[in-house]
Amino acid sequence: MTIQIKIKEIKDLRSLPKFTYILAILTALGMSTGLYRLYAGLGATTNLSTVFPWGVWISFDLTMVAFSGAAFTLAALVYIFHQHDLHAAMRPTVLFGLLGYSSVLVILFFDLGRFDRFWHFLVYPNLTSALFEVSWCIAIYTTILIFEFSPVIFERFNNQKALSIIAKITIPFVIAGITLSSMHQSSLGALFVIMKPRVHPLWYSILTPEFFLTSSLFAGISTIIIGSYLSIWMYGKTLPQKVIEKLGILMPWLLGFYFIIKIGELIFTHELNLLFTSGIFSVLYLTEMVIGVIIPLILFSMKKVRTNRQSSVIAATFVAIGVILNRFDISWFTLKPLNGVTYFPSWIEVSLLIGVFSGVLLVYTLLAHFFPVFSETMGVEKKPEEKFSPSQVMEPSIGD
Amino acid sequence: MAKYGFLIDASRCIDCRACLVACSAENNVPMTHTRIWIKETGVTGEFPDLKRYTAPYHCMHCVDPSCVSACTVGALQMNKDGIITYDKDRCIGCRYCMYACPFEVPHFEWDKQLALINKCDLCVNRLEEGQAEPACAATCPTDAIQFGKRDDMLALAHERIKNEPNRYINHVFGEHENGGTSTFYISPVPFEELGFPTTKLTESPAEFNRMTTEKGTPIIAGSVLTGMTGIYLALEHLEKKNPVHHIEELEHSESTHEKE
Repeated sequence: MTIQIKIKEIKDLRSLPKFTYILAILTALGMSTGLYRLYAGLGATTNLSTVFPWGVWISFDLTMVAFSGAAFTLAALVYIFHQHDLHAAMRPTVLFGLLGYSSVLVILFFDLGRFDRFWHFLVYPNLTSALFEVSWCIAIYTTILIFEFSPVIFERFNNQKALSIIAKITIPFVIAGITLSSMHQSSLGALFVIMKPRVHPLWYSILTPEFFLTSSLFAGISTIIIGSYLSIWMYGKTLPQKVIEKLGILMPWLLGFYFIIKIGELIFTHELNLLFTSGIFSVLYLTEMVIGVIIPLILFSMKKVRTNRQSSVIAATFVAIGVILNRFDISWFTLKPLNGVTYFPSWIEVSLLIGVFSGVLLVYTLLAHFFPVFSETMGVEKKPEEKFSPSQVMEPSIGD
Repeated sequence: MAKYGFLIDASRCIDCRACLVACSAENNVPMTHTRIWIKETGVTGEFPDLKRYTAPYHCMHCVDPSCVSACTVGALQMNKDGIITYDKDRCIGCRYCMYACPFEVPHFEWDKQLALINKCDLCVNRLEEGQAEPACAATCPTDAIQFGKRDDMLALAHERIKNEPNRYINHVFGEHENGGTSTFYISPVPFEELGFPTTKLTESPAEFNRMTTEKGTPIIAGSVLTGMTGIYLALEHLEKKNPVHHIEELEHSESTHEKE
């Protein structure tokens, strides 16, 4: 039986999924346009301008950080709230978070005018700067994510000593990670608090940090649910139905809380009338709220939806679209154009984004292929020879 | 030490752009990267009664500067004279100051490979060398740009409006805007027409920023840290008291459930 497993493994090494090669090509193309941007400067390669100094890269970063919030949301549920049955989702989610944050750091590097000084934030602190705090928290939290992911590496090389040490000190790291995440998720919202003259009043709020933090929680959960579906056709793995169900139960509460503080803020600042009188901005705001909050709130409230894998994924997709719209709205679509100048990204900006995102999927695929990322997903790594034949270990049936 | 300030009079500006040349020469930057530029109304009125007003525009040197509050690496600082200085050796080119500044002042060197911010530093080196005025004010042939102590400039602005109420609108731009600045403008036409970023806001956006970064974030961090630790310890304690299940068992049962 062990021989069978080994043969299977060798075959697996040789047969990486076909899309891996496509991802590699896209990554290479994207990174080469990135290198060209470093050589030629921002003005020659992007459509950024004096009145739109930040573009689609920043919008992508905001969105990616929100979705990478999956890692701290799940860590809190599993380790702090003792929802041990969600542990199956831990490794795939932590890896997504780690790569998500890494992609944000890569994009930020390309976005800096003096990318050669990217390390300056480490030595020149400005404690009132939201961006300074975001940089620090993301840098430390990415390190913590590497730590949280490291058992996968040690397990591959069967380093029991390292594994037992990590298991002992996990909790303090998890708590630190959750704290740092809450800080930078909210501070990303705080970026827009100082931009009062630029941000449309429907989105502008002193509570933007709290909006960002809350939405990162349900963005994270939607990531796990959608990811469990994507991983079926990408890697032939998925999460137990019970995990999806349990995560779904949280959604109406989080979405409901978000809805109440968003609308409550508008009522409190007497801006509720703007909902219907701001033309295109009203349309954007209502789209964001209806698609991203109200529809999934109703869907996730229904037991029928939560207990069905497909409908859970559809509801989670609504949430994800809403979060993407929200981040793009506040950082791009609704920023006041000065002197009538608007912004649309250049092909180089888009190409670098596609490259970096493909890179995330590529590294994910490779790590998932060679390391036991999905082992727990099946819950069979303990005693596979007892219950399962090797073929079932590698290609489990996905039943609803 | 009393703070420095400007008084810029749009009714006196003749659009000669000598201030731009002076700025370019003083700071050794090309004319495309001067830290001062001209705002204008465009030609208004009916022939032959045509009018066109202009005003030089540069960093307002706010009393409570948003850019200083926002700068990631503290490259923007306020010195003892109320001058907002810029440290080009620190700046990382993140361009957050361009969004933070309510007066749309910082400009970016889009055409350079290693690009930085351009912003008026009130010729701080020149003043430290003992010269009386920054280059633009020293050059201005019509005294449209006047330089002195902030309080004197503000008093002078009000005095001019009071003495010639028909010449100026009754508004000193920069007195209250965004928490007040050290550069004051008086003009014959409303400042919207000159293309100024007018606002009703009398507090600096920096104030809102500090509410979130100095109060909000520490509160969030503190409550999450204590909350998470507390919940963990409490649940751990309860679980030790009456152990219900082990993780392994749960996962195991789940995997079999999944298989079925």
